[in-house]
Amino acid sequence: MISRIFLVSLALFSGSSFAWAEAPQGNSCVTCHLDLWEEMKTSVHSQQGIYCNSCHGGDPAQTTKELAKAPGTGYVGIPDKKQLVETCGACHANVEVMNFYGVRTDQLARYKTSHHGKKLFGEGDTRVAGCSDCHGYHDVVAVSDPASPVYPLNVPKTCDHCHGNEKLMSRYHLPSDAFKLYQTSVHGKALFEKKDLSVAHCASCHGSHGAVPPGVKEIGATCGKCHVNEKKYFLESVHAQPMQQGKFSECVSCHGNHGVQHADKRLYREACVKCHEAGSTAAKKGGEIFEVLKKSDEELRSAEKLVRRASIEGIFVEEEMGALEEAKTNVISMAPLQHSLSIEKISELYQKFEGVARDIQTRVLRKRQALRWRKISLVPLWIFVGIMIVALGVQYRRLKKDHEGKGPRG
Amino acid sequence: MVKDTLRRWLAERFDLEQIKGPLQAQIEKPLPKNVSWFHTFGSMSLFLFVSQVLTGILLLVYYRPTPGEAFESVKFIMTKATMGWLYRQIHAWGANLMVIIVFLHMLRTFVTGSYKKPRELTWVFGVMLFILTLVFGFTGYLLPWNQLAYWATTVGTEVAGAIPGAGEWIKTLLRGGESVSGETLSRFFVVHVIVLPWAVFFIVLFHLVLVRFQGIATLEPVGQEKKPKPGEGIPFFPHHVTKEGMVFYLLLGLLVTLAILAPFELGEKADPLQTPFAIKPEWYFLPMYQVIKYFPKLVGIFIVSLAPLFLFIWPFIDRSKERHPLKRPVAMTIGILVVLSLLVLGMMGYLSESKKTCPV
Repeated sequence: MISRIFLVSLALFSGSSFAWAEAPQGNSCVTCHLDLWEEMKTSVHSQQGIYCNSCHGGDPAQTTKELAKAPGTGYVGIPDKKQLVETCGACHANVEVMNFYGVRTDQLARYKTSHHGKKLFGEGDTRVAGCSDCHGYHDVVAVSDPASPVYPLNVPKTCDHCHGNEKLMSRYHLPSDAFKLYQTSVHGKALFEKKDLSVAHCASCHGSHGAVPPGVKEIGATCGKCHVNEKKYFLESVHAQPMQQGKFSECVSCHGNHGVQHADKRLYREACVKCHEAGSTAAKKGGEIFEVLKKSDEELRSAEKLVRRASIEGIFVEEEMGALEEAKTNVISMAPLQHSLSIEKISELYQKFEGVARDIQTRVLRKRQALRWRKISLVPLWIFVGIMIVALGVQYRRLKKDHEGKGPRG
Repeated sequence: MVKDTLRRWLAERFDLEQIKGPLQAQIEKPLPKNVSWFHTFGSMSLFLFVSQVLTGILLLVYYRPTPGEAFESVKFIMTKATMGWLYRQIHAWGANLMVIIVFLHMLRTFVTGSYKKPRELTWVFGVMLFILTLVFGFTGYLLPWNQLAYWATTVGTEVAGAIPGAGEWIKTLLRGGESVSGETLSRFFVVHVIVLPWAVFFIVLFHLVLVRFQGIATLEPVGQEKKPKPGEGIPFFPHHVTKEGMVFYLLLGLLVTLAILAPFELGEKADPLQTPFAIKPEWYFLPMYQVIKYFPKLVGIFIVSLAPLFLFIWPFIDRSKERHPLKRPVAMTIGILVVLSLLVLGMMGYLSESKKTCPV
């Protein structure tokens, strides 16, 4: 009640129209189904004057229930899943209708290419997801609304309604632990913990209306939408050919899929030996890359620590901090570059990094040394000051003694 | 050889015998016996002023008084210029020590009753020098154009703006506009490097002429002072100068040590859009800052402005003839209370708006 009063006051004082529609006048649907109107009035449809009869048929101008649902009024009642998808598509696939809202109109066409659509339209399987399973029905809100089930932050949970149902998924021979794995993945943590809406979620890889699982060859294209450089360097690697022959699943072979973790150099120890024998040339090459990456990480950390400590000691390290950024860029650039699996290219970048890191170290140590010399110089300074004070003190005593010996004149 | 040639050259042009007499008299002028180590605070203040001028000239070689360059130029001095770090730190520490030493010099004058007739004007010039030393600090503090300096100046000029009537005008005059900006920096720079050094130079000159002309005060009551006879007291040269020489070396060592062991940090460049937490004025303004907090704005400013006024007129209020501190209980009680309240208020100002608490 209090929150309603607050919202009403806010609407009155802000002077702007509030985000729910007024009940349509003379609409007999609303007169009887007031509870459903309550659900619908905040929806994106009711705000655009799209009421019950647009989906359910019937004549809302009639005053009795019988006349409103009479034959000839197009009354549908509760549409089945196929009807529902087509009803939504009647407007959402119509360019003339949707043009003014700036909403794309290929959803229905895409849906029909999806596994969901094929099952529904091809096999009449109504257990698959239709529009309302993801978007809701009476209370449909814009995708950009955080309350929408298809708002990026909510997509994984929405998909999990069905894809987390073990019984349902077993019918289709699909795993039901995708959401659980995703939650612990680097993507899931970024989405749920950091609220990073740009991170990959279900629809980013599988598509939304045209949802399909990417095949072996498409994996690289899917991940490569975001990981552009990794994709580029991978195509230069020795793995590119077996991938094109369908023998090797790009990205997934080493990183996994739903549960993908933050890529760590230790993957070279764990992933290579899945396909290559331990001690083989390929596994050794992986080991070499691992060593270079390890050295770069350690040297970068040591340079960072050195600069930080120097800064705490009061040394000006702005230039070194700038150089540190350059060194970091080199190390970061190694992440995509290592997908080329070229030890020569990685070593070349490492040498660049090492030069910068060594330069930082030399400069900080030189400054620290200068600071130490300043402190050491205090010793001769105070020896000099001491000598001068003692010398003047002796002179002062002598003068005083001489003066007292003379006594007052006149 | 060179000395003789120079003397001959001068003797051909000037009546050296006529000059030699008064000069000799000034050099050998005996100082009263009560002249102690505390009497070296005056020459220490002068030494610090000279040090500030010299290091200030060196800083001027590289310093650029514009918002875009001020911070970078000070950073350049501290990191690149040869020995720049040393003369910048000596300048910064010198400014702080000068406030302390000038204050101690005034305190010595107060305790020994030296401000009394006939030396009231010497005291008035001394108070002027103390105030100008504080203004030196206030204007110089802004010049590195870092965050603390920028916001402390904003608060300082805001206080001036609260003075009834002329406040707004004074604030605009100080800032050169609505807020602290390049105009303010330019004004503070000119005042700091041109106006104040010359003003202090001439006032120091008057102050010293009066000191030499009227002599150092003894502890005898007003009107009963006995001038030391020739051979009595301590000759200014070489006796007292030797003593001052020792103090000079001690101060030199102290300045360089502080510059090396406790350097002033430059901090971050001034950002008018980002107010740092707990902005406070420099330590020597903290007692005033704390007093202003206890009273409504106008009353606080009125009380704070009474302090310099009292300092100026003090010799004309305290008309008693006694100079010895033990024979002036009222004046000494007032003096002790003032010093204690400055210390307590300063400490409270320092601890306020911070997580530090007074140890119980």
